[in-house]
Amino acid sequence: MRRTSAYTACFALHFLLIITIACRETTWVVARRLTVLPSSVESLAEDVEPVEDAVLGRHLDPSNPLRRGLSTYWHLSGNEGGYGYFAPNVPGSYKLVFELRYPDGRVESVLPRVSSAAAGLRVAGLLDEIGRQRYEPVREYIVRSLADATWREHPDAVAVRAVFGSIQLPTIDEFEQGKKESYQFIFAYDFSR
Amino acid sequence: MTSAGERFLFPEDSGAWLTVLRIGLGLHVALYALSLRRDWHDLLSSLLGRDLSEGILSAESPFVPRMGWFIDAGARLGLSESAVLTVVWVFLLAAGCALAAGLFSRPAAILAWLLHLCAAKSGGFVAYGVDRFMTVGLFYLMWSPLPDRYSLDHLWRGKALSRQELLGFFRRVLQVHLCVNYFFGGLGKGLGRGWWNGDNLWRALTRPPFDSVAPELLVKLKVLFSIAGISIVLLEAGYPVFIWLKATRRPWLICIAGMHLGIGLLMGMHLFALVMIVLNAAAFGPVSATSSERGTRATGRTGN
Repeated sequence: MRRTSAYTACFALHFLLIITIACRETTWVVARRLTVLPSSVESLAEDVEPVEDAVLGRHLDPSNPLRRGLSTYWHLSGNEGGYGYFAPNVPGSYKLVFELRYPDGRVESVLPRVSSAAAGLRVAGLLDEIGRQRYEPVREYIVRSLADATWREHPDAVAVRAVFGSIQLPTIDEFEQGKKESYQFIFAYDFSR
Repeated sequence: MTSAGERFLFPEDSGAWLTVLRIGLGLHVALYALSLRRDWHDLLSSLLGRDLSEGILSAESPFVPRMGWFIDAGARLGLSESAVLTVVWVFLLAAGCALAAGLFSRPAAILAWLLHLCAAKSGGFVAYGVDRFMTVGLFYLMWSPLPDRYSLDHLWRGKALSRQELLGFFRRVLQVHLCVNYFFGGLGKGLGRGWWNGDNLWRALTRPPFDSVAPELLVKLKVLFSIAGISIVLLEAGYPVFIWLKATRRPWLICIAGMHLGIGLLMGMHLFALVMIVLNAAAFGPVSATSSERGTRATGRTGN
């Protein structure tokens, strides 16, 4: 009986966390006005966010043992985020091109390279992360790391320009009218030896 | 706790679902390792390094396993980073194969969970949904009452079955988890206009690197996009209700499996499709019923 109660308590706590994390993600997109909901609901979502953060211990200092304990648990159990894949909308797509400059003035354009389709999906996710990243030093660190990896494969290059942009996909109707995808420059970094 | 609640949380179960989960996740772990064999070192070392993702992880919690722990331990033994990564990959593959066979089931489940978690966390910037669901599945598997009755541990090594009274409980955990997952997935999609008019499905299928099918071919199916988009929203949001009802469980399960199969085939996300189908089959697949549950269903009550 005691054992049953212990499992039941674990079940309740586990799903309290999971449901709160999922609610937190949903209210985040609502509060950021990314949905079709009216503005009154968006304001309500803004009010609910701090409550959800409190349940998840996010109002506590990052070094607080409870916050660290909760954080550890949801990483170990695979519940560190919600389930809003491609929700409420499918995000845009990004492209990173490295322009390798050689001593003779030649310029070669290459893309980040991996060997398999499985790894290609992961690199695409990485480009999304760069596109979403608002903290510039992290963004530059990631791009520099990718540039270094490309550079190692082209050791003769003297400089690398990393050009990052988004791909604008046409809607179905636009595609039928002959419109193709377009590219929009976002930023570039120059690296040299 | 009420007896109704207890009956819900601790039902009798044959444990066949655990066999499905163990074999499915074992094969999945092995395929995951094989699919990344040529890029394993790049993704965890030379492409981006681990410093940034492990640094961010440490700021959240220093106790989450990561590849750096193995690299540091290997360095003390005189092993290079590359050698340690290779050893981890071999052990991950071996753990997947052992799980699929049912040999040393629990140690294999713990090892697979730990090594995959380390790879997913250290390569956090290149992780995606498949890693989340692998962690979820392996986390539940390693706590479940292993070995199961169809494992080589039981059939060949003669290991006794243990904690059989908890088989139903752990299946419930997996079932409720999937209900939460799909409900919030469907809710989130339903809040975006693009899932109702088909735009989002078009975008998902034409967005690199998921553009496995030529848009010239897709556009011929234009009329189906809004129907499919609405169906996905309803399938996911309605999952926590219709998967429990006797009359709708099987069609719902088939449709969800079909949706994941479609994602796998049309968007090239084969491993993601596989792990979701495995989790669904284990949680709500027909093989999970005990003889007593079959009797219950025959009387027309809600199935387990």
